[in-house]
Amino acid sequence: MKKLMMAALALLFCIGAVQAQTLDRILKDKKIRVAVEVDSPPFGVLDSAGEPDGLEIAAVRQLAKDLGVTLEMVQVTAPARIPAVLAGRADVAIASLSMTLDRAKTVAFANPHGALTIVIAAPAGTKIASAADLSGKRIGLTRGTLEEATVPKIAPKDCEIVFFDDISVTIQALVSGQVDGAGMSGFAAKAIADKNPAKQLESKFTVTTAYYAAVVRPGDWDLLHWINTWVFLHKRDGFLAGIYEKYTGLKLPDLPTM
Amino acid sequence: MHYVFQFGIVYDNLPLLLHGALLTIRLSALAMLFGAVVGVLGAAVSTSSSRWARGIVRAYVEVIRNTPFLVQLFIIYFSLPAIGLRFRADQAALLGMTINLGAYATEIIRGGIESIPAGQIEAGRALGLRRWHIFRFIVLLPALRVVYPALVSQFILLMLGSSVISSISAEDLTAVTNSLQSTTFRSFEFYFAATAIYFVMALGFRLVLDGLGWLLFQRRTAS
Repeated sequence: MKKLMMAALALLFCIGAVQAQTLDRILKDKKIRVAVEVDSPPFGVLDSAGEPDGLEIAAVRQLAKDLGVTLEMVQVTAPARIPAVLAGRADVAIASLSMTLDRAKTVAFANPHGALTIVIAAPAGTKIASAADLSGKRIGLTRGTLEEATVPKIAPKDCEIVFFDDISVTIQALVSGQVDGAGMSGFAAKAIADKNPAKQLESKFTVTTAYYAAVVRPGDWDLLHWINTWVFLHKRDGFLAGIYEKYTGLKLPDLPTM
Repeated sequence: MHYVFQFGIVYDNLPLLLHGALLTIRLSALAMLFGAVVGVLGAAVSTSSSRWARGIVRAYVEVIRNTPFLVQLFIIYFSLPAIGLRFRADQAALLGMTINLGAYATEIIRGGIESIPAGQIEAGRALGLRRWHIFRFIVLLPALRVVYPALVSQFILLMLGSSVISSISAEDLTAVTNSLQSTTFRSFEFYFAATAIYFVMALGFRLVLDGLGWLLFQRRTAS
């Protein structure tokens, strides 16, 4: 009987340990693991020294600093952002993840700390002014992104949509002419247009405007609440607007609260 | 950590997965056929007496065998359009797979040809056989028989390695799996399913290729 009680106690302790609050664990271990992108300008890129840099990276660095813990960046590609958090490889993903109802079924979103537009980018000579003009065109999209979720819905039936695993490959397809146009964030479109002036790439029209936020595993409410507090305070003190302007050259849109 | 497996979603999307698997099978089978032809031609040239031709084949084999397949695909799909050669994703994938397999097959078959004793070829000459007949019956067939198991392994490796063609937007099994897991977030289930399908495909290819080997070589020896 005593043995049984010991076993039951041990079991209870185990369950308690498994459900230990993530924020506590982060503070205790003095380390937060954040899933980040380094192939998606201006959110995350590798600088000339091979170090991650960008709008989201700046936010991540500040977040770890405010928590007072060391930062471990888990570099992922766009399709791996949510799986990395669900599989426990990272405590939180801060990687330009736009809020969608589908995603919210699997992970928990914090309040948005930025906003972006999804546009169709194409060479200046290509006549695309609205969704209807995508008829008969080949459009490249990146898997696991907001453009993958929104562009097919507005595209006409005879628009051929092809998918790539990585935004840099999608951009390569656009630059090499393998696709007539590509769906991507307005920043990405601006960045590649600036870098490839000869190709005369431009944003043709805005598909949607989206708010991006940090995501955590469902149930990590303590961590989620701390991040919400962090977003609120850094909206007030101008930090978020500052990094947004620094990395995009644009003014931070008004960020509503959930 | 809690994770509840939901394989129902895999069954719902099975037609899509099988559609992707079909492209993998089709491209792999074609690449095996063309790659084998390239391999036989390459091996014939690299054991010929022309120093120039040997050098060209040598360069082809070394460049392909010492560079990543993914980079080869990117060059075909993204770089060749700059000089006016534009391929669709599946065409580029087939071309890349054929070129890649051709290099490995050349090397494997060359090894087989070089294992044929010179005396055997001299015997053919002594019998008054023509050069083409000597190559076909005395050199190539016995050589292929010796290296066939190695060739089959390379074919299977090519089929498994074809998973990277999803990177250039070919809708193969890996591409379909990636799309499904990125929209459903059930990555475990879909990657498990893809693993199982690849495994079955590899077994299937091995069975068919072993059968083909039996038809080509064993039966002849027996009769």
